[in-house]
Amino acid sequence: MAKHSIIDPVDRIEGHLRIEMEVKDGVVSEAWVSGGLFRGLELILEGREPTDAALIAERICGVCPISHCHTSVYAAEEAYGIKHPNGARIVRNLAEGAQFMHSHILWFYQLSALDYVNPLHALEADPKAATEFALANGLGVRDFGAVQKRLQKFAENGQYSWLSGGWFLEGQAPEAYKLPAEVDLIATAHYIEALDMQATADEIAALIGGKMPHIQTSIPGGTSFVPSVEKLDDILDRARQLHEWVGEVMIPDAIAIAKVYLKDVAGIGNNKHGNFMAFGVFDRESRELTDRYFPAGIVRMAGGTGAPVLEKYDGSKMTEETTHAYYADDGKPLHPMDGVTVPPEKFPGYYKDEANEVVNDKYTWSKAPRYLNDATGKREPMEVGPLARVLVSYMSGNPEIIDGVNTVLKGVGLPISAASISALNSALGRLAARPIEAYAVSGYMQDWCHELVEVLKNPGDANPWFAKRVRDDGAGEGFWEAPRGALYHCETIKGNKITHYQAIVPTTWNISPRDVDDVPGTIEQGLIGVPIDNIEAPINALRVVHGYDPCVACAIHIVEPKTGHEFKTHMSPWGGR
Amino acid sequence: MKDSFIESLESRGLTRRAFLAFCGSIAAAIGIEGVTGIDVAEAIEENALIGTNGGRGEGKLAPVVWMELGSCTGCTESFAQADDPDPATLILEYIALNYSETLSAAAGYSLEESREQTIKAFPGKYVLVVEGAVMTRWNGDALRIAGEATCAPGESPLLDVCKNAAAVIAAGSCAVDGGFCAAEPNPGGACGIQKYMADNGVNTPVVNLPTCPCNPATLVAVIVQYLLLGTLPQLNEYNMPEVYYGETIHDNCQRRGHFENGEFVYEFGSEEEAKGYCLYAMGCKGPQTKANCGTIRWNRRVSWCVDAGAPCIGCASGDPRVTQRNWIDFNAPFLNRMKDIHIGSLRVQPTPVALTITGVLAAALIVHGIGMKAAGRTEGAGGPDWEPVREYDKKHGITHGSAAAATSEPAEKAAAEVSEGGEQ
Repeated sequence: MAKHSIIDPVDRIEGHLRIEMEVKDGVVSEAWVSGGLFRGLELILEGREPTDAALIAERICGVCPISHCHTSVYAAEEAYGIKHPNGARIVRNLAEGAQFMHSHILWFYQLSALDYVNPLHALEADPKAATEFALANGLGVRDFGAVQKRLQKFAENGQYSWLSGGWFLEGQAPEAYKLPAEVDLIATAHYIEALDMQATADEIAALIGGKMPHIQTSIPGGTSFVPSVEKLDDILDRARQLHEWVGEVMIPDAIAIAKVYLKDVAGIGNNKHGNFMAFGVFDRESRELTDRYFPAGIVRMAGGTGAPVLEKYDGSKMTEETTHAYYADDGKPLHPMDGVTVPPEKFPGYYKDEANEVVNDKYTWSKAPRYLNDATGKREPMEVGPLARVLVSYMSGNPEIIDGVNTVLKGVGLPISAASISALNSALGRLAARPIEAYAVSGYMQDWCHELVEVLKNPGDANPWFAKRVRDDGAGEGFWEAPRGALYHCETIKGNKITHYQAIVPTTWNISPRDVDDVPGTIEQGLIGVPIDNIEAPINALRVVHGYDPCVACAIHIVEPKTGHEFKTHMSPWGGR
Repeated sequence: MKDSFIESLESRGLTRRAFLAFCGSIAAAIGIEGVTGIDVAEAIEENALIGTNGGRGEGKLAPVVWMELGSCTGCTESFAQADDPDPATLILEYIALNYSETLSAAAGYSLEESREQTIKAFPGKYVLVVEGAVMTRWNGDALRIAGEATCAPGESPLLDVCKNAAAVIAAGSCAVDGGFCAAEPNPGGACGIQKYMADNGVNTPVVNLPTCPCNPATLVAVIVQYLLLGTLPQLNEYNMPEVYYGETIHDNCQRRGHFENGEFVYEFGSEEEAKGYCLYAMGCKGPQTKANCGTIRWNRRVSWCVDAGAPCIGCASGDPRVTQRNWIDFNAPFLNRMKDIHIGSLRVQPTPVALTITGVLAAALIVHGIGMKAAGRTEGAGGPDWEPVREYDKKHGITHGSAAAATSEPAEKAAAEVSEGGEQ
């Protein structure tokens, strides 16, 4: 008999997410991913000025506000018929870079590490042995004795605070935690240090944008931030510090953890469609999407395991539809430029009627975005995110990313081959992608500081930071990347007021529900085949889901009851299909 | 201080001297007359885990529940940017953060259980931090957590956790009055926690801490004051701590001197911006926004909006008692020069403001007018916003209204708008 396993809420993510899985013979056979919050931001933006819209759209997500702001600003600039000047381009790259650094560090340690690291097990470590292990394996050496003392005090008190109910605790799934006590101690020391490093990255964003989250200086036309030499110094100093730290601490930690968990993480979370998509991020002077530091493109692996093939990206092939989402439109796939957000009159939840039949099969606030594959003629789900970006960059020949990928492959003992690249379509690849990117980005950031010094020296005749708009009517699209993946905003303006606004955020691609043909979304596919030993604490599933770092306030969404409930008849708890 | 206490500080790399300095900064942040760094130090020694005495129930950490509602998670993110004490210290040594959707190690059922246990074990004793707006549409189905409509009217998981709290801290503008979630047309039926509780007959004390996101230094100061001294800050009519929300951004602005001299930025990226001139002409809402951004600053005090070149957009200006008065609708369009200034419930033209209220703002506006005149940017009498068209603007082709306005918009139209008394 199939059993249901539910994680709700999924935490250590941004927002409200629910995962329901059907488990047969110890593995996930089907999954439903559901977003639990409706805010209707697109509706709020209509009727407003594009500059206001950018600053409001930024609030779509407090984890990646800068990315939303920038994508909205790109859409506005296209509508206004302008391009932001070169100085603004570099300033925005720096702000976005800070956002990536902050987000990747926070994800790796605060949001993801507790799926692999057991901070309480660190109490059993011998600090001296930990130091020796760290030295031998190139992990950042710290005063592990002091960290352990601090943890000891914490544990003796008996309140587990934010560790309350952790799955590494007795009675949950402690057997799934496999690190030696010394590595747990090292990683916990770095977990605490990472809190400081992510704040350092945010300081860069604040220096440019006033505060973070929610910077205030990126606006249509350019930036209102004019760098001074002192501020550039402050930024450069922090970028350097971050670059060193990622190289000395984060990448070695990723390798150390991945090595121990290799069998667990390399074999789970393979998205079966094998489609990866990036819109590209960090502009060069050409402003071409394919010329970006992390370029736009699509990588396909046939059946999810085939050799990776690079394709060009075409924005006109995107659609969104709402067959299984709570919205009240007719569910027809629409390009976002024509897209609609129609909240229902009544909440159409999955209520059962008196005969215990499910009333409808709408189960999420997330729409279902799809991308037309010319080869199959079908609209297919795509995976977006750091892994997609890394794959596209790798296949496009970005030297920093190639270096990073090869370092990690070597570190965990995999050969450098096409098959190994395909093996990254897993929780392993998603674990490794962020440290790899963080190292590259913090390197670029130092270059950008120097480029800005050049702009300050030779500003040219035109204002290098801000360009005025040349029209009040038009339409525009913004293609960019948030740390968690490809991001798109579009808007139409009339008399400098927005008449139409839509956004497709990265998480919507990843937590997409089934579409009109019943094809499951990316995480729904990625969960299939994941081994579940304990349906009360399905740790492997959580590892897979965290790999996508869903950022759900962005994607909007939902929920349902207690763990371990057995379902007998319904294919889907919501859809008696 | 006891030796064992000093020892435990030292195990964290903190000297006695540094600890006392830190207590001094907390005392300053709390801002209560008569509370010194020494008092704070004693209270920490009494109560916090790093101390040796005291105790709360079985453990020594004060339980905190952090509920995330209709939000962007930006306030949790912002909390992670705190220092003095930093978030690691807070969650390890100060508070038992028993439920946080973003930081908790647990997930799913285990996490919900942890929250329920906290309510049961510490009724009336834990602090509830609310992030995000109460989403009331579809009887609360606009936000579902763990299979339930979180914000349903009447009995709901949210009401339960509010009812049993010692105090509710509304962290960030969304929790205060719905914030950006409540902006027109308020599709999710967002409102603040104070209104939700009042509507449902719960009277747990509320402390409102607006700005978007919540300033971590302010939030931490309130939590620490409550944990250590057992008191809440003195609140104004909006249930906001007077000490943090008593003065306008303009009062304490680092660019204030330029305002007085009539030195303004009229174009982003200009020489005037490089000189740090006043952003009033770019739509800065500093004169009508009461918050402590300019003094407490952001992100470990490295900067704040105006320092970076961004006009204040008034993200602290809400009213917790009214659903629809969120800061977005109150201040948008953000980059339009203010024609009206709102002070509390008063909404007046700058001229009457100058006449009817006394104190720095009035004086400044008058000085401003004079300064503008001296700088040759205005003709005749008048200040920034009661002149139909600024001489400087006319000369430089800038039309009234949006700072980023297209140059084609006729100046007459702008002037007409002013005489009609159009909103903002």
